[in-house]
Amino acid sequence: MAGIWVYSEDVALVKQLLTIGREVAGTLNKPVAALTLSEADAADLAAETVYVLKGQNPWPESYVQAIADLAAKEAPDVIFVGATPRGKDLAAKLASILKAGLVTEAFKVSVENGAIETERMMYGGLAVCTEILQGLSLVTIPPRQYEPAAAGKGNVVTIDAATDVPVSVSNVCPIIREGADLASAEKVICVGRGLGKEDDLKIARDLAAAVGGEVGCTRSIAEDYHWLPAETYIGLSGVKVKPVLYLSMGVSGQVQHVAGIRDSKIIVGIDMNENALIFEAADYGIVGDLYDVVPALTEAIKQAK
Amino acid sequence: MANIVVCYKWVLDEQDIKVNPGNLALDTSRAKSKISDYDRNAIEEAVLLNEKDGHKVTGLTFGVAGAKQSLKDALSRGPAEAVWVNDPVAAEADAFVTANVLAGALKKVGNYDVIICGEGAADTYAQQVGPRLAAVLGIPAITFVNQMSIEGDKVVATRKLGDCTETVTASFPVVVTVLPEINKPRIPSLKQVLGASKKPVTEIKLADLGLNPDDLKRKTTVKSLKGYAMTRKNVIYKDGSTAEKVAKLVAELAKEGAL
Ligand SMILES: Cc1cc2nc3c(=O)[nH]c(=O)nc-3n(C[C@H](O)[C@H](O)[C@H](O)COP(=O)(O)OP(=O)(O)OC[C@H]3O[C@@H](n4cnc5c(N)ncnc54)[C@H](O)[C@@H]3O)c2cc1C
Repeated sequence: MAGIWVYSEDVALVKQLLTIGREVAGTLNKPVAALTLSEADAADLAAETVYVLKGQNPWPESYVQAIADLAAKEAPDVIFVGATPRGKDLAAKLASILKAGLVTEAFKVSVENGAIETERMMYGGLAVCTEILQGLSLVTIPPRQYEPAAAGKGNVVTIDAATDVPVSVSNVCPIIREGADLASAEKVICVGRGLGKEDDLKIARDLAAAVGGEVGCTRSIAEDYHWLPAETYIGLSGVKVKPVLYLSMGVSGQVQHVAGIRDSKIIVGIDMNENALIFEAADYGIVGDLYDVVPALTEAIKQAK
Repeated sequence: MANIVVCYKWVLDEQDIKVNPGNLALDTSRAKSKISDYDRNAIEEAVLLNEKDGHKVTGLTFGVAGAKQSLKDALSRGPAEAVWVNDPVAAEADAFVTANVLAGALKKVGNYDVIICGEGAADTYAQQVGPRLAAVLGIPAITFVNQMSIEGDKVVATRKLGDCTETVTASFPVVVTVLPEINKPRIPSLKQVLGASKKPVTEIKLADLGLNPDDLKRKTTVKSLKGYAMTRKNVIYKDGSTAEKVAKLVAELAKEGAL
């Protein structure tokens, strides 16, 4: 059965992938199949076929060979994989076993003249590369790019999966996050190296409190200074945010950082250097010393509310 | 003692690439090249492991003729020798092709126990070569690693995966891809830079790897590569007092419903 396949180890993401999967399948007049690792999750997925991969190993990466075997047999046209770290790892190995192409983190998938096209970032977010898929291909798609598809009912097929892998996995620990999840925050206040010392994070926290938002940072703040945890840096290799308001202070706006804020509704930059790149990426900006501007802004916002 | 091979890519420095605001064409004419940033973390990690336990570190790159310049840079960062697969195919290669070529080179060179790659290249950031390379060689890959050690004939590595961390142990040979937070690459000293030119370099021609022509053909067709169009309002308050600028900003944000 050729068609469009979707897979993620996270069922919430499977549902999001079904939205784009159904759209592409509709245009190409193909069936959709969903792959999941959990029987419990299979019941309400809106796909013609739902494959449940059942194996002994709880490590999602160990299912790659079983998925490859199934794909070799059923010959899908394309496999959409959720771009979590585990999903990207599995997709790359799967593409290699199947000798298939793989587009990483496509932000747009469409059908043009009967072929699937993808768009993704290049050069740290400076450029967009549009590719036409040829033959069996994989595409990884970031979480929350699509709304989840409505529930549906498919033909559930259970596959016995061999999951032997020559590695052992131990010490699985959740990462404890302080504060709310930046990726879903409505307001994000971002600090960069313009901040002189760690104590001055208070300036950002006060503004965040005034607007009801979360504090994030650039990679330099997390990885060079260690003032905030690595989970709070925003950008290409960090968190991607999509708030109503993103406001930065002392952030130069290098392309790799801006790649993580582009889905924000309103972008505001505050920087001393009027030529800072952040102003090219911003809707509004103030050229000035953050130590003057931000406390004044916090007060003005409190007044306005 | 392990044979550590560290793979790196010679890429255009994106900071030197200009976007033509009219047609969004990329101007790379003034762009210099660099060792991809996260590959510098990979090299540093290999060198740190060597300094700790005594291993042999070899740098490996697949690149066009211009990548010759990268060898001295890479060797000044600590590897004992370098291998360069020199072919124009590298300019168009995707991760499928690159993984096939690197696997071919590793088989030709022979001894490899631990292969370290950066988590993603600074130009494509496709995050595929490491795990693909492992699959081509039929060995395990440990990806998203922020801590690693070599214990006997095993690698023990900590992966960081969004919402959790985990420890993965695998016997040689194994591919490890490292996150930038794993270390801070050193700036080579003058002595290291001078010493680099004395280290051995092996140049391999693609034809000598005996790869199938299909293994060298990229999988997707690139339809276009264009600058990202910034469509923001760009209202920047530059003149006036702080109070005036702040008042204007707050008024606009209120209108936008962003407060
Ligand atoms: C492959 C790769 C991936 C990367 N991924 C990411 C990523 O995911 N996220 C990320 O953030 N970065 C990333 N980077 C790094 C990125 O290129 C930049 O180096 C980084 O974002 C810069 O951080 P910054 O803006 O805090 O610091 P800087 O670039 O040093 O900017 C500091 C700014 O503060 C301003 N300033 C100084 N003092 C004041 C003051 N008193 N008041 C107001 N303004 C002031 C300065 O004018 C300057 O504009 C990546 C780089 C590479 C190569």
